[in-house]
This record gives sequence, C-alpha cells and structure tokens, in this order.
Amino acid sequence: MLMDGNRTQDLRRMYTLFSRVNALESLRQALSSYIRKTGQGIVMDEEKDKDMVFSLLEFKVSLDKIWEDSFSKNDVFCNTIKEAFEHLINLRQNRPAELIAKFLDEKLRAGNKGTSEEELEGTLDKVLVLFRFIQGKDVFEAFYKKDLAKRLLLGKSASIDAEKSMISKLKTECGSQFTNKLEGMFKDIELSKEINESFKQSSQARTKLPSGIEMSVHVLTTGYWPTYPPMDVCLPHELNVYQDIFKEFYLSKYSGRRLMWQNSLGHCVLKAEFPKGKKELAVSLFQVGCVLCSCMVAILSMMFSSHSNHVNGQYVIQTVVLMLFNDAQKLSFQDIKDATSIEDKELRRTLQSLACGKIRVLQKIPKGREVDDNDSFMFNDGFTAPLYRIKVNAIQLKETVEENASTTERVFQDRQYQVDAAIVRIMKTRKVLSHTLLITELFQQLKFPIKPVDLKKRIESLIDREYLERDKSNPQIYNYLA
Amino acid sequence: MPRASKRKSDPVRSSEPAPKRATAKEVERIDNFFASYANTSIGMIDPEGVEKLCSDLRVEHTDVRILMLAWKMNAKKQGYFTQDEWRTGLKSLHADTLKKLKKELPELEKEVAKQNNFEDFYCYSFRYCLTEDKQKSLDIESVCMLLDLVLGRQFPLQVDSFVEYLKIQKEYKVINMDQWTNFFRFCQEIEFPDLQNYDACQAWPLILDNFVDWLREKLTAA
Repeated sequence: MLMDGNRTQDLRRMYTLFSRVNALESLRQALSSYIRKTGQGIVMDEEKDKDMVFSLLEFKVSLDKIWEDSFSKNDVFCNTIKEAFEHLINLRQNRPAELIAKFLDEKLRAGNKGTSEEELEGTLDKVLVLFRFIQGKDVFEAFYKKDLAKRLLLGKSASIDAEKSMISKLKTECGSQFTNKLEGMFKDIELSKEINESFKQSSQARTKLPSGIEMSVHVLTTGYWPTYPPMDVCLPHELNVYQDIFKEFYLSKYSGRRLMWQNSLGHCVLKAEFPKGKKELAVSLFQVGCVLCSCMVAILSMMFSSHSNHVNGQYVIQTVVLMLFNDAQKLSFQDIKDATSIEDKELRRTLQSLACGKIRVLQKIPKGREVDDNDSFMFNDGFTAPLYRIKVNAIQLKETVEENASTTERVFQDRQYQVDAAIVRIMKTRKVLSHTLLITELFQQLKFPIKPVDLKKRIESLIDREYLERDKSNPQIYNYLA
Repeated sequence: MPRASKRKSDPVRSSEPAPKRATAKEVERIDNFFASYANTSIGMIDPEGVEKLCSDLRVEHTDVRILMLAWKMNAKKQGYFTQDEWRTGLKSLHADTLKKLKKELPELEKEVAKQNNFEDFYCYSFRYCLTEDKQKSLDIESVCMLLDLVLGRQFPLQVDSFVEYLKIQKEYKVINMDQWTNFFRFCQEIEFPDLQNYDACQAWPLILDNFVDWLREKLTAA
C-alpha cells in the first residue's frame, strides 16, 4: 500500500525502524511479494499487452527510486528487486520478449519526432535492463532481427547511430554470435549502395535498360537476414528485363554466387497520370501489377532486394498488380490472379490496399472492405489526393498475425534442434550417462527455458532414431550408439 | 536421421537339458505334418493353414498359445510359418504329430512363463505384430489387444488401467518398442495401485509419466 502510493518518507521511516529491531528480513519479503504480485498483474493481463513494456519500465523506475530514497540502496534489497523482476517477467512465456522487441522497433523507427538522442539512449538502456531478466532470449532475437530487417530494407530507421548503439548494447547482453548477423545486415545495406552506384555506371545499365525506370537493389547475404517465404509472382515484362540485366551485371562482378529473386518486401514509386493530376504513388511491387490503363505508369524507382550466395530478390508486389492495368480497363479478381500468380491471401491483401483503404487507386466492384472471388477492379479515374507523393503501401509495415505465429514457431523448432544436438553432443562425449545427469547437463548447456517433459520427449525421439539406447541392465542409464 | 536398424539376434532359450537330436523318422513326420497344412504354391503355412491348425488343436486362433508357438519357432511373418521355422519349433518341442503338439502346449506355456523367457516372449510378440517392412510402431488398438493377450493374466489390474488410458489419451496414436518394453518393467517394479515408488524424474518414457498422472488424478477424484 505504501509502495503503491509512493510514500517514500513513510517507507524510509519503516526501513529505519525495522533495521533497528533486526526485522529487515520481513520487510524484504514483503517487498518481494509486492513486486511479484504487482508485476504479475502487468504481465499476465493480455488485454493490456500494448502497454506492458511501458508499464514495466515505469514500475521499475519507481522501484529504483524507492530503493534509493527509502531503502538506503541496500544491496540485499537490490537483489530482491532483481529476483522478483526476473520471476515476474518470465511468468508468461515468449510474449514479454516479443513485446520488448516491438517496443524497440517503434522507438527506432523514423517518425518519432520530439525524442532527443539522449532520451532515446536512456530509453534503450532502460529497456535493456528489462531484457536482461528474460529467460527466453532467442524469441526476442528472432523478432528484433525481423523488425530490423524491415527497417533497413524500407529505409525506416530513425537514426543509424541509434541502431548501431543498440547493436553494441545487445552485443554486451547477447554475445557476438547474435550481433554478428545484425552487423552483417548493416554491411549488406552499405555494400548494396556501392553496387547500385557501379551498376548505374555500368555499360549494361546504360545500354540495355528500358528508359524511364530507375532501380536500386538490396543485395542480402542469406545467413544474416531472416528467412522470407518464397512468393511466386508473374512479373511484367519490364521488370523481368531489369532482373536479367542486373543479374548479368552482378554475376560478372561476383562469380560463383547464386542469385535468387524473392518477392515480399520492397517498394516502388510509380509516376501516375490521373485525369485529375499527376501523382507519385509509393506502392509495393505487388500493387504495381494492378494499376493503370490509359494513363501509363512510368516506374520511377524500384527497390529490389537480393541475397547473395543464395541471392534473394524482393519485389514489390503491388507494382505487379498495378501494371496489369496498363493493358486493360477492367479486370476480374480471377484475371488478376491468373496473370500475376500471386498467392491468394497475399493477392487479396494487395488488392485491398489498392481499392479498399483510404487511398483508392483502383475501384472495386462491388464496393466493400473484403475482396471476394467475384469482384472486379477498375482504374479509378476520379482519383484525387492533396499531396503529390502518396503512400499506398501502409499494409506492409504492419505485421500479419501469421508472420508473428510463424516467427515464434521457428524459434521453437530451432530450440528443438538445439536440444537434440545437445543431447547427441553430450552422449557422444560421455558414451554412458544416467538420466538424471543427462538432464542436469542439458539444463546447464541450454540457454533457453525448457521443461524436463520436453527434454524427455527429445530423448525418446533420439532413442527411436537409434542415436541412443537404454542400457539393458540398468534402465536409468543411456548408452550412446555410434 | 534413421540409422541402420539393429536386428535382435536369436533369443536365448531357457536352460533345459540339451535337446535330443531329432531322428530321421521324426524329421520326416515333422515335414509331413507341415505339408498337411502348407499352401503348396508358396511353400509355407499361410493364415488359412494356421486357422485349420488351430481348429484341429481345438484352440482359438487368437489364443495366446499360438503366439507362443510362433515364438518357439521364431517365426518372422505374422500369420505364416515357413518350413524352417516349423522344423525349429517342433523339433525343440519334440512334437512331430498333431497329437503330440497338443500335448506339448501346456509345457510350452510353462516354459514361456519362466522369468528369462517371458521377457523375451513379451518383446517378440510386439515385433511379431509389425507386419510392414520398416514398421516400428503399433497402433493403439492392436497394442491394447496384444497387452491383454500377453500380460492380461499376469498383471490384470495394470493392463486394464493402461488399456483404458490408452484409449482415452490423445497424444499418442502408436506405441513403439521402447514404450512397450517399459510397460512390462512398470508392471514388475511399480507398486500397484498406489504407485508409491513411481518417480517421473527417472528415465520412464513420457507416456508412462502421463499414465501415472492420470491414475493419480483418478484416485484423488474418487
């Protein structure tokens, strides 16, 4: 009660009093249960997930202040606060880690007007304190990496300095194995700039590229970046030409690499001539495929991303859809689907972004929020907007529910592989080991939280696959099977 | 990654006085006996032949003694006996006619019941039911039937409970050899029905941990 009311004076008196009669221990215990109880309330309330990180930060700040003002910076009390925090933040598996990553993403993204560099640094440090308490750090890593990739590829970082500062903080916390990949991502972006420059100057670019189109490519090294699901799409002819010319150029400079174009992130600015005025539309590649008819769209600049070594290109999905309308007035959903080969859910999302949102480059017939099988689409002759350059690709930055679930899934799959690898590694070294000792070793080696039940499952799976066996004479013992 | 499977070597038979060598006459009679049930086109006794044999022996073909006979022959394929397998089994049973075989059945039961034979028989019976090539697990329904057949007399309470559990649980659709063998160990080592000495922190397969949890819940609910 005193804590809730932040009654530091009273607390200080209490502390002084208790220390005189050697009763600090009971005060400490009360503090511990208070923190755990309040913290549990913050962490477990699913409705308030959006505010969890913020609430936790505030809570920690207030605790620290009380520790300073009322508890004379008592060391034991400091540990109590830490232990209690560690306990409460891990009450809920995975979600706090994910939310912390998202919180950081918001802070590091452009558009945070009014936050000074100092303030940002301070916030990052405070968030890191929370992060230290999390037991399942790999969940955080997966989400942080994904969000960082999006920020870098879409050019959404508020400040590269802030990003790099965050990376060095994470290096201290997580070790360089994780941050090496992140640093690799930055290097790829830098390198891509250079590649684009030399591409522009190259003979291939100057002689063979169709005019009126500018292109920049992100070349991504597969190991560093998150894995993007391959997305099939039939590109308009111009884009295919681009692809081939760039590929020729790239492979002439870096032989022995594989270039794979992939279609997900990426954006494009289309110069569109509407009857009511010229506009520049910032769209995704998929959106490009859909637009236009009598008003030709000259593609001003397209961002492609490709991985090297397994080079992946990321096309702009909206572009593909928009460009279809170069040749047709009206297209049915099925027409668009056939022409672009874009996966069903993705196509519906793309058409929604072009025809059902605030910015309607296309008209949907019949009107409505959802894209149904029998809908058709037409170029929106009556399109107006106050600005010259308009963003139509709002959908991209928002994470889909499926993306979230699959990121978490991948982390769990990965954990399973790690457990299997650890078991085999331990058994290979020890050759013969008792069940209890194996479990103990595993808990020591594995860096993420796991239950003994799950360890048993993996052991049994390995027995089934004949990596180990139970000893015939002593069933508590496992033998390694070479 | 699947590893090359290690086939169990021939089971060790219990210590008995060294079997007398079968005389030529006996071998001939055994072969004739075989021929009277064999399917000549495949040179083996097939399921139809086995059924006929069972009815002649006045034994249900689902009777556990037929399984024991298969064990004695070390028969590889469920429902079939090859000539070699037949010879092996009947020679060691000293049964070269139908009448003698019928007489030997109670002896066979006693032999199987011996401690060091029974475990072998128990494992054999599971393997015997793996009819497909490379099959490693048996579906729940077959497992329930097999458990009842093989262990039902010796450990009726445990078998009944476990069968009940297997039918209602959803996590496992099949049972593998590891789980199968450990259930036998469970019956031998764990006090039933109080389960006092069961410790889930030990190397019991997870399915048994879950079984015990379920049993304990039932007990407290009762």
